Amino acid sequence: MAGMEKNIHFIVNGDPVSALVAPDWTLLRALRDGVGLTGTKEGCGAGECGACTVLVDGTAVNSCLFPALEAEGRSITTVEGLAQPDGSLHPLQRSFIDYGAVQCGFCTPGMLMSSKALLDQNPDPTEHQIKVALAGNLCRCTGYTQIVEAVQAAAAEMNGGAAAAGNGTGAATSAASAATGGTAHAGVTGGVDQPGHAAHGSPSAEVSA
Amino acid sequence: MAGFEYVRPTTLEGAVAELTARGDGALAVAGATDLWVNIRSGKVKPEAVVSLRGIAGLDALTPEFADRAGGAAAGPGGDARVSGGLTIGAMTPHGKVEDSLWVAAHFPALQQGCAGLGSRQVRNVGTVGGNICNAAPCADSATALMLFDATLVIQGPAGRRELPLGEFFVGPGMTRLLSGEVLKEIRVPDPGAHTFSRYIKHTRRRGVELAMMSVGVRVTLEDDLTTVKTARISLGVCAPTPTCAVRAQDMLAGKPLTRAAVEAAALVAADDSKVRDSWRGKAWYRREMIRVLVPRAVEQSGAYAATERVA
Repeated sequence: MAGMEKNIHFIVNGDPVSALVAPDWTLLRALRDGVGLTGTKEGCGAGECGACTVLVDGTAVNSCLFPALEAEGRSITTVEGLAQPDGSLHPLQRSFIDYGAVQCGFCTPGMLMSSKALLDQNPDPTEHQIKVALAGNLCRCTGYTQIVEAVQAAAAEMNGGAAAAGNGTGAATSAASAATGGTAHAGVTGGVDQPGHAAHGSPSAEVSA
Repeated sequence: MAGFEYVRPTTLEGAVAELTARGDGALAVAGATDLWVNIRSGKVKPEAVVSLRGIAGLDALTPEFADRAGGAAAGPGGDARVSGGLTIGAMTPHGKVEDSLWVAAHFPALQQGCAGLGSRQVRNVGTVGGNICNAAPCADSATALMLFDATLVIQGPAGRRELPLGEFFVGPGMTRLLSGEVLKEIRVPDPGAHTFSRYIKHTRRRGVELAMMSVGVRVTLEDDLTTVKTARISLGVCAPTPTCAVRAQDMLAGKPLTRAAVEAAALVAADDSKVRDSWRGKAWYRREMIRVLVPRAVEQSGAYAATERVA
């Protein structure tokens, strides 16, 4: 509806930005269409798949259900904010690539952001805690085992342990694209062919109470 | 999507005034995790949305301390003060309750109810007050709070009023909240020493799922650690609203806590329930699971273990 748009001012990945948004806009739309950061993906649009996960003041939220107008004054971290300004990847991003935790790549930005929120709060999570933290992130490629392993390895590395040895795949370039929020289809590859790809259903089916 | 006005008052009184001025076309929104789904799908078409997020101080989780004579357990971290009641600001996100060691220690069923709702992303945003006012039959935080005789503090055009949570629900999505009224906070009274509680959400998968049905129990024992002082059995998705199995509760009160007594009460709770068939589960199955889960919840609450330490 014309005339109802408002300019919101917020911090995205450390930079102050503003965007003109309508009352029915979500934070997801403000980030993608307003700010131009398309690393954050829209999956279900109903808070079920977690592809749109970003951090708002450090906590993971579904940006598809977060009213854009509520972002005023908040600090948002998206997948584009994980890497250092010089382009060096966050340990989680490197680990996702090394462990083959990136397949089609569409869920990857959300997986990374939920993982980051977890490790920021709990630097040494158990496997169960990782599964609980990622229960709201669906991977249609069902590569959950590698994702959990990648988070464990990144946690170990960030805690100062020996850098986890990656099992490098031939798909590093396209996987890196997805792990940094690049175009999803650039990340689609047949190159990731590892054992342990058995279908697991939804991640939540694995979460034990 | 049709446009709507987005209002963001910064005081509770302001929110009441904005809602009152706009009438039934306006909706109050807390975390928006339910409302935004319905707005985006076109199921709900508000003329105005009054966001409660700008109101400072509505998301506080405030424990109160009881002055209780010896015998009561110390709080978390060796805190010598004992738990009394708890006030939960309506805008408190479920994740905050989930992470509270204080709640986990003194109101475990409430922590379990909040921790089992949705995903972490939803729990970080979705609020306890929103869960209550949304009035779904499966509302986890509401069903858990019923165990503790919670009272709602409601701010409206005519001032402030209090209403027991058990009287708040009218039907699915329907409450006694009047036009212009906003839930301010939930007050949980001191359940007393020797209190044990457990919430079991019965689902087909173990995360990001609405309850097929849920069972909460709370047992508060007398100082003899044998006699039941107060018993509460709350049920989710076993009636059009979260309910308490009143007749079953009354059977337990004043008597020694035994497995036989709990099983007898569970049967009555199952018989009295208003379960129905839905695509998430059949009535007969839900009724059967009340019979199964009430005893299991009491077992897992640790109440028997307490009685056995005395015996």
